[in-house]
Amino acid sequence: MGSLLDDWPSYDPHNFSQLRPADSSAQPSKLTPVTYRPTHNKTLPPPDQVISTEARNILLRHFYQKSEEKFRPKRAASDHLTPEHSCKQPRCDYADGAD
Amino acid sequence: MRVSATAAPSPTRFRRAASLPPPVACGSIDVQGHQRRCEGLRAPNPHPSPWCKRTLLLLLLVILLLSCRFVACGFPGSCRHRYAEVVLAELHVPNSSASTCWYFSLINLVRHFYENLVPSYTICDIDCPDHSLRKITDDGRYLVSFSRNLQDIIVYRPTWLSFSFKGENCDYQSLTQKAKKFDSFFTQLYSVSLGSSSEFICKDFFLYLEDHQFGLFATSTAQSHEVPAIEGAIHGVPSIEKITFHLVRLKDGVVMDEKSFCNDFVNLAHSMGVFLYEDLLCIMSLRYQTIHILQVRDSGNLVDVRNIGSFCLEDDELFLNSHAQVLKFKFCCASDFFDDNIVTNDANIHFLQCMIVPNKGKLVGSVHESANGIHHEPVAQASSFLTGIKQRLLSFIFHKAWSEEADPILRVQHLKKKFYFHFQDYVDLIMWKAQFLDRHHLLIKFGSVDGGVSRSTDQHPAFFAVYNMETTEIIAFYQNSSEELYSLFEQFYDHFHANSRESVHANFISSHSNNIHALEQLWSMKNKQNSFSQFVKKMMTSIPYTCQSQSPSPYFDVSLFRYDEKLISSTDRHRHSTDHPIKFISRRQPNALKFKIKPGLETSGAEARTKKICSFLFHPYLPMALSIQQTYMQPTVVNLHLRM
Repeated sequence: MGSLLDDWPSYDPHNFSQLRPADSSAQPSKLTPVTYRPTHNKTLPPPDQVISTEARNILLRHFYQKSEEKFRPKRAASDHLTPEHSCKQPRCDYADGAD
Repeated sequence: MRVSATAAPSPTRFRRAASLPPPVACGSIDVQGHQRRCEGLRAPNPHPSPWCKRTLLLLLLVILLLSCRFVACGFPGSCRHRYAEVVLAELHVPNSSASTCWYFSLINLVRHFYENLVPSYTICDIDCPDHSLRKITDDGRYLVSFSRNLQDIIVYRPTWLSFSFKGENCDYQSLTQKAKKFDSFFTQLYSVSLGSSSEFICKDFFLYLEDHQFGLFATSTAQSHEVPAIEGAIHGVPSIEKITFHLVRLKDGVVMDEKSFCNDFVNLAHSMGVFLYEDLLCIMSLRYQTIHILQVRDSGNLVDVRNIGSFCLEDDELFLNSHAQVLKFKFCCASDFFDDNIVTNDANIHFLQCMIVPNKGKLVGSVHESANGIHHEPVAQASSFLTGIKQRLLSFIFHKAWSEEADPILRVQHLKKKFYFHFQDYVDLIMWKAQFLDRHHLLIKFGSVDGGVSRSTDQHPAFFAVYNMETTEIIAFYQNSSEELYSLFEQFYDHFHANSRESVHANFISSHSNNIHALEQLWSMKNKQNSFSQFVKKMMTSIPYTCQSQSPSPYFDVSLFRYDEKLISSTDRHRHSTDHPIKFISRRQPNALKFKIKPGLETSGAEARTKKICSFLFHPYLPMALSIQQTYMQPTVVNLHLRM
């Protein structure tokens, strides 16, 4: 940077005279950052993955989402609610299971 | 827009705090535009692109220009300004291949230099020709004006003055009288006649297509309020015998195409009735309640795409005409309403019976649906159809009310309250204004006939509908007091702007969705209001957005400057002028006055009581602005504010 400005015309000839060229051993432009090399391939994307921008903007997405929520058919209060999780079992009495 | 790891964020959404480096996408982010979300987003770029070096050099040039005092005499004032113009123009070249997100965030960074490049010098009462100055285009290429008799358009090229001084210490010389001329800053390109003896140019109307440098003008004959009722036209809306839209290539003034509307009414004031999105035009015909969608082709032709109003689909009219029995009875709705998943037969019958519009109390027939087809009963007398868009709207409202209640008995009550009770009010709604949300969606404002042509809509109920032009469905419907719509307005206001990506400058207009200061201003207004619903209604008057109504000048950037929005703002509206100059105070240094804009003459004590109206034209990127002050029965005073 210092050498770049040395030759340019200046209003006051003493300007930019104090600048010294940066220490060549520590030039930041010459340093390359360490590259990360993964040790596994578990996080690799699927080979046919295509990343693209969604066509609809976020405002329209919100409009559509809200309208879908409103038009989802609602269950009446009198409908019997079946359990959603089949893995759950009704709690048994401790008295029965104590022995 | 939602992006994933490798894509860069949309340039329209990023506004960075003053001290942060330009953000680069890292990880999956939902780009909204709040400054707070920009913080901390940074990914190192180990391989700087070629653009880095170019923009670094440009930045260096700008830094050097700012430190003007240290530049040698070898750089006279004119050259410095020429360099400034080149640098600033370089960064704002539209359609350049560098319009990437990184480039846009660089513009954000460079904008901070405008804190020091301010139009602090004023040339009072510049010898401006007696034209009605309309606008400086958003790319800064043209100044559009109209002749006083509203027959001709005169287009100028904004330039920067060039002059030279002889001798020492020329930096502190002020401008000579010869340099303070209008011609020093604006070069006339041509004058084109658009009007005729009966048609006059509408001086409030102008739209600009940046890609092709086309300008859209409008001429119209006189407006008449006493109009006979015609089939298809609604009452209460005035009529204009002929409105013509002219597409002019601004490079050379050639009129490319024209489109006329006869005995119609389009709200031309401040281009409110027309919306431009990329190459699509949406013209709202209030009298015939039709939205005309036109496309501007590269060749300069205005091509009809579709008309939405009486019919939604292109073949609706054909379908209706081909059914001879339609002439005898009522018929309504398109076939997608009868969706088995959602609506039962009972609902169909309920709804169809409602779709008959009573024509001033005359008996009309009804339609019943059966499994085999449609049985019709003969009507006693003919009545008017509901228009296609109205039918879509009513069917949406019906669906919504139907879906809100699951219990069949309660559902009927709910329908009565929400739909049947207000049915006539919904039928009486008319379309006021429309805008594009994207190429396929329209935001349409509905209201009563009374509020159709007036600007203030506080007293009249208004509704907003989102309409998909491809599927011809209404997606959403809100009243203007809806809190749900307000929350979308507060978060995503930039998407209501619907600016095309090609328009570089329009992407940097401050709004409460991309600027923390503007958002704080909005919140403080919200907290001051006693009634939240009144506040929401007030905010909703700003949508649908009027396109190209705001100036992209960096001096209106709320992150950089504070100014009194009642006296001046980016919206190009006439305002009442005060005697005091308008101050622009730095945002970063709270009490530092950066520059002042004083419209009118320097000494204005004698005419303090007369009403003065002022308008401002800011160049999009040069530190140059025109203030035009008009006083009743007195000549117009035009001041030029620039950086010397």
